[in-house]
Amino acid sequence: MLFWILCLAVPLVVKAEFILTIFIFGFILGVLAISFNVIFGYAGQLSMFNAAAFGISAYATFLSMERLHVSFWGGLVIALVLVAILSVIIGAICFKFQLKAFYFALVTMAFAELARLVIMNWGSLTKGTLGILVLQKPTLGFGDMAIKIDSTLGWYYFSLAALFLSALVCRGIVKSWIGRAFEAIRLNEDLAQTLGIDIFRYKLLAFTIANLLAGVAGALFAFYTGYIEPSYLSTTQSLDVIAMVLIGGAGTVLGPVFGAFILTGLPHVIELSAEIRSIAFGTILILTILLLPRGVGGSLKMLTIPWWKRLRERRAAGRAA
Amino acid sequence: MTQLLVTQILNGIIVGTLYGIIALGVTLTFGITGIVNFALGQFMMVGAYAAWYLTDVVGLPYPVALLPAVGVAALAGLVVDQLLFRFTRDNLVNGLLVSIGLIAVFESTALLIWTSSPKEMNFVMSGSLSFAGISLPKTKIVVFATLSAVIFLTFLALMRTWLGRAAYAYSQNPEAARLMGVRTQLLQSGVVVYSCALAGLGGALYVSLYSLEPFLGGMYILKGVEAAILGGIGSLVGSLVGGILLGVIEAVGSIYLPTAFRDAYGLILVVIVLIFRPSGLFGER
Repeated sequence: MLFWILCLAVPLVVKAEFILTIFIFGFILGVLAISFNVIFGYAGQLSMFNAAAFGISAYATFLSMERLHVSFWGGLVIALVLVAILSVIIGAICFKFQLKAFYFALVTMAFAELARLVIMNWGSLTKGTLGILVLQKPTLGFGDMAIKIDSTLGWYYFSLAALFLSALVCRGIVKSWIGRAFEAIRLNEDLAQTLGIDIFRYKLLAFTIANLLAGVAGALFAFYTGYIEPSYLSTTQSLDVIAMVLIGGAGTVLGPVFGAFILTGLPHVIELSAEIRSIAFGTILILTILLLPRGVGGSLKMLTIPWWKRLRERRAAGRAA
Repeated sequence: MTQLLVTQILNGIIVGTLYGIIALGVTLTFGITGIVNFALGQFMMVGAYAAWYLTDVVGLPYPVALLPAVGVAALAGLVVDQLLFRFTRDNLVNGLLVSIGLIAVFESTALLIWTSSPKEMNFVMSGSLSFAGISLPKTKIVVFATLSAVIFLTFLALMRTWLGRAAYAYSQNPEAARLMGVRTQLLQSGVVVYSCALAGLGGALYVSLYSLEPFLGGMYILKGVEAAILGGIGSLVGSLVGGILLGVIEAVGSIYLPTAFRDAYGLILVVIVLIFRPSGLFGER
């Protein structure tokens, strides 16, 4: 709660465009991080398709706006339907044949690469490696009342709202029976099946929800930066998302958002050359994985538990072992 | 046409052994430590730059430079294993993330030192063998022979010695192996270092064929993982056959099908193999 109020108040204090821009990137990539957290943090499936859903949706939103002359929202709906169909097909193939862990990651990565290659080589539609310049901006409201979102402040609140809604959706799912089914699948798939959970259906659901959220993030990202290129779908992008979630803390609603902020914000705050920035990224990633296995979010959560309770729990755990 | 086809198949086999040496590293590390070292491609890059530096800058003859180049890669592997991978044993996701961090660190360091402009090594061995209208550069044949020999020797060492039995016992049941006197810590570190050395050797041989740039490793680790899965994780011969199969499919595929999708043919094959024969072509059921 505190986080949201703080976020609402930031533009009142900070006027610098540069800092607000970092926040906007943090919010949009936060949506992407939340999406990966649904499939990995809760359902325990290491999907490498996030970046693909992100990129496909970016392309599909823009292309349906251009070719079918619909609004941003119409384009987004078309893109999400497309992403949902692809997710169900790919998810069904993977889960029907019971691909797990490493193998699931590899097959989803293969499909993501295929999607990237198709987009890169379908020059007449996507302009290939040149990328597409996006000049339109999304609007809110109807007819004469419509507000075009193109100022930094407008985008700030727009992306914050998107992040808030995504977090709400994620929280809603996690707290419901669906979230409990996801958790059961992550902790012990065989046991979950014996308890009567249809693991095929729930895994497919997790995969689809994750890709839809990633799709929303993709459309927002494309229209904010005004540029779409095939590298949106690259494996590196998928790996960055995994890094955000693990740094922030998998399995917490807001943890991944912190991760997105750390990875997008930190390198910009300190002015560095591209190479040093990349070295810093690698070092931060390695250190968090080794020193804070619960991620930053998870570690902060631990701090809110009073020390005597933590001590008692540790003693109890020691006795049990 | 047949001439082109045969040339492409031969080229595919040679590139395939490079995939195979990475695949061997992937298979060994995954079997013994439960992680996939995705930075193996970057160890290959380290070996490649070391070989280039020792040959062209220091002035050693190329065959002499090979051994220290492999040594540099192995040493880097030892440092990384003791500092980082030691803490991610049997944790696939953490291992993956640590190697992603390593990729970023290695590639940017290489960029800082050698910049992104490609480096060409002076010709090591000129001339080519011609046979029935098909000509192959001699270097390619030497690279192929060396890599196959190394993979085969590794296979022999693991089949015939106590070390191989220890590794096999460990992959079957770690705890029982420890109780039987297998020094598991040493075994795990050894496997990580050995796979880095293999990748370094691949890189050191790579320089004699192609030009060098800091990002050369990224593609090879993907191909290596694909080859390891095609052959079946845990199968040493499978990794060589998987690598060659992948190389040949790409080379032949790009004659008949659009070249732009070259990287896709292998991926499609991997997906099909994983769906219908999840343990790979040579894996145990």
